[in-house]
Amino acid sequence: MAIDVVMPRLGWTMEEGTLVEWLKASGESVQVGDILFTVESDKALNEVEAFDAGALHIPANAPTPGDSVPVGTVLGYLLAEGETPPERVPPPPRIAVKDVAVTAIPASSGAPPATDRGTPAISPRARRLARELGVDWEHLIGTGRTGRISEEDVRAAASAHSTAAETSEAERIPMSPTRQAIAGRLVTSHRDGAPVTLTADLDATALVELRQRARPRLGYNDYLIRFTATALERHPALNSSLHGDDILLHPGIHIGFAVDTEAGLLVPVVRDANRKSVEEIARESASLSGRALRGELARQEMTGGTFTITNLGADGIDAFTPIINPPQSAILGVGRIAQRPAVHEGEVVPRWLAVVSLTFDHRLVDGGPAARFLATLRELVESPVDLVA
Amino acid sequence: MAGREITYTEAAREALTAAMERDPTIFVLGEGIGERGGNFNTTLGLYERFGPRRLRDTPICERGFVGLCAGAAMTGTRPVVDFMFIDFILDAVGELTNQIAKIQYMSSGRLKMPVLLRGCVGIGGGHATHHSGSYYPLFVNVPGFRVVVPTTPHDAKGLMATALRGDDPVLYLEHKSLLNIRGEVPEEDFQIPFGEARVCREGTDLTIVAVGPLVPRSLAAADALDAEGISVEVIDPRTLAPLDLDTILSSLRKTGKLLVADESFGPCGIGAEIGAQVMERGFDDLAAPVRRLNGVHTPTPYSLPLEAAVAPSADQVAAAVRELADE
Amino acid sequence: MTIPQDKLLSLYRTMVRIRRCENQLARSYAAGTITGACHTYVGEEAVATGVCAHLRDDDAVFSTHRGHGHALAKGVPPRELVAELFGRVTGCSGGRGGSMHLFSPEVGMMGTSGIVGPCILQAAGAGYSFQLRETDQVGVAFFGDGAVGNGAFHEGINLATIWDLPVLFVCENNMYATEVAFANSARNTDVAGRAAGYGLHADAVDGNDVVAVYEAAGAAVARAREGGGPSLIECRTYRTRPHAEGMRDGGYRTQEEIDSWKARDPITSFARALLDDGIAIPDELQVIDDEIAVEVQQAVDFATQSPWPDAETVADHVYGTDA
Repeated sequence: MAIDVVMPRLGWTMEEGTLVEWLKASGESVQVGDILFTVESDKALNEVEAFDAGALHIPANAPTPGDSVPVGTVLGYLLAEGETPPERVPPPPRIAVKDVAVTAIPASSGAPPATDRGTPAISPRARRLARELGVDWEHLIGTGRTGRISEEDVRAAASAHSTAAETSEAERIPMSPTRQAIAGRLVTSHRDGAPVTLTADLDATALVELRQRARPRLGYNDYLIRFTATALERHPALNSSLHGDDILLHPGIHIGFAVDTEAGLLVPVVRDANRKSVEEIARESASLSGRALRGELARQEMTGGTFTITNLGADGIDAFTPIINPPQSAILGVGRIAQRPAVHEGEVVPRWLAVVSLTFDHRLVDGGPAARFLATLRELVESPVDLVA
Repeated sequence: MAGREITYTEAAREALTAAMERDPTIFVLGEGIGERGGNFNTTLGLYERFGPRRLRDTPICERGFVGLCAGAAMTGTRPVVDFMFIDFILDAVGELTNQIAKIQYMSSGRLKMPVLLRGCVGIGGGHATHHSGSYYPLFVNVPGFRVVVPTTPHDAKGLMATALRGDDPVLYLEHKSLLNIRGEVPEEDFQIPFGEARVCREGTDLTIVAVGPLVPRSLAAADALDAEGISVEVIDPRTLAPLDLDTILSSLRKTGKLLVADESFGPCGIGAEIGAQVMERGFDDLAAPVRRLNGVHTPTPYSLPLEAAVAPSADQVAAAVRELADE
Repeated sequence: MTIPQDKLLSLYRTMVRIRRCENQLARSYAAGTITGACHTYVGEEAVATGVCAHLRDDDAVFSTHRGHGHALAKGVPPRELVAELFGRVTGCSGGRGGSMHLFSPEVGMMGTSGIVGPCILQAAGAGYSFQLRETDQVGVAFFGDGAVGNGAFHEGINLATIWDLPVLFVCENNMYATEVAFANSARNTDVAGRAAGYGLHADAVDGNDVVAVYEAAGAAVARAREGGGPSLIECRTYRTRPHAEGMRDGGYRTQEEIDSWKARDPITSFARALLDDGIAIPDELQVIDDEIAVEVQQAVDFATQSPWPDAETVADHVYGTDA
């Protein structure tokens, strides 16, 4: 069998060497002890002796002088008489030892999980803090990985404690049935829906000028109810509600508007707002809100709405995230109309701007239709002349 | 009936004698341990009983006879090397660490290494720096050794008996100041397992783990502190390798405060090891940092006032306890 | 020679086994299969062979970094030696020791050591055990000229002599300790003479003459077994390969010197003597050579195919007795 001639290890830390020169030619006969080739490693030149005798054979793909190869790489063969020369040398070896999997040595074992103890565990540092802040930490639950009470836990307990202390001196007002009902509906909406709010900056300058010229002067909210109704005609998806697994697209457009009363937020409804002029809407909304404020609204005047508008502009609010009035699918929040710098026909000029915030229920309505609804609303607000009829 | 009282040296010798009776392969080597019976009377009377081959006086060549004992232990006998002063063991460190500690491992357990290495340690009597050392951290740190530090006659006997039955090399370190203390010791043969600490005194406010002479000094301090209303628990680990940390942790759970009192040097001493292990395994029980009281980190001076200044006293233990109790 | 033929052939076989194994280990080291250091015994085979031929399995041999020859001569199978150097679990030390920590107490191989000196002390210790237990076992230490300047030489020989321990101290004086010439480490390079100064029986022999070693060792072992105390044999020999594989051999000795010792090769000169004296014919020696070649190849195959040690066992056997 052919004997391997390899790149030898010539030093205890040597991992590779450079073949410098063969001192025997392929085909030449070699005796034990003959110098076969020279190797450079660590800047030193070494002569390598043959361990064995035979005819030297260097295949065509063997490393050539100048090549740097790992220790153990086959450079050629010594053949016995009549032996067939191997055609190729194998590729350089990977050091087998490095393939041996090594078990990670575990770090010294730490404390047993704090939750295994009978009493809560608290770090010495946290205990000091508890002392400083006057916190009774023994009833705390630790948030550390092993359940240990930490500094943060003590601090959190300290602030909760101080909040609790304040409420004991506060005035106590029981919730009215109305408020409780409203609270219930809001929570339901928030919990069951998938609300997303889109905001849009509207240039209301034209609307402001229009309103200035109109007689009698009408409310912005009334214009918005009318524009919203038109937009809902064009985007019926926003005029829908969810019943079980069905989306109901309502034929009528009945827009509720939020009125802030002592009893809480009430939402009277303007029915068929899309068939009424802005003046008609104005007369109706004035009547409804008057009665709302006096607590005289009939129940049916607050039901059946298919969309709601809530306007906090009078309170100086710019934008907000209104909560949908269930089972409706969307609500429009209107912010204040105020003069702000804007780019108009290439120049920065003061314009009347307002932000509208549309919260829609993503279970029924997708972002695309909602955005297009807002785009329509913008058009109507920014070019309002079409609807005043 | 009151138990019989003997000295620490007598108790160790009793264990050695009983073992040599039982096991004819046990022999003792050392300087002056033959006919003379040892500088510290460790082998008094044994020469007459067991003869010169089993009580063999050596030339002054610690490396030589420790290396020889490694070979003997591998070939069916149980050597006891009696160093007289443990300081002399340092000449044999190569044979101990490269040979004795490693041969069981290298031979995958086919060769045993039952060598007992005993000698007197510690400060007291003005013996100066070549006769006052302890040096146990090296043997606790290197894998392969057991390190035993009995502090009472009872424990001296029980631990010696265990050492002479096991397969491992054992450092048996006897503090000079304890050799003549008296205590109750059973007459019959008995063994104390390695790795079992002893709670010498129960308490509730603070735990002292004390090594060697610091055990009686801590007990004395504890008595004084009792009168001041500080209740101190004192633990004697008895063996440093293996170390009984469970007993220390149980005590810490109760008291929350730990002082390690040791005449040896602080750096890399058993107090550092206990502190690290307590931090890892008993962190949540700590009401205060682990404190250490160690000998001053200097060679041991000769003159008595200087010598007294480097070794911790009972008063210093008490002062350390008072400080720790306040934290 | 008055040694029986089968014993002579056995000596030949052992030397050939050592030579073949060592050359193979040198090859394996060069190819990167063996890590750390590998100190080969090529040229010194007659010493291990001649001494160990008198030893039983229950005699204890303690050796040094250049210990492969002693291990093989004492009875460690080649496959266990090669597997150990390859780091496999089937090695004589379970892969835990490598070249310099070969343990096979089952055949009385009590360890090679990476430190110079301890083997002298430990052999004396074995002698102490055997004397105390009143057996006729013998302790043997193999060490080089490099150990002669070490305190262990002085202390170990002194202890063995004052106590009449059954020990054989074999100094393989190959004239160099690593690359330091013995002549530069000692004014008096007569090791046998120095040992005699302790009151020890001491002889110097030609370490490349296996018969001379055999006869001197025979007398020493017999003396020890009969209670006659320790002996030292200085075997003057030579290693024809570098101190350790991979080390350059130039600078501290000349090629002429190496060649002059190669001409005194213990195996070829013994083979010539066997043939000249009609103890063996060439074919018989060839058969031994071929059998050893197969044995060594099988050892390499065995080692190459053996599993690595399980990392889970890494902490086993630090102690013999659980605490």
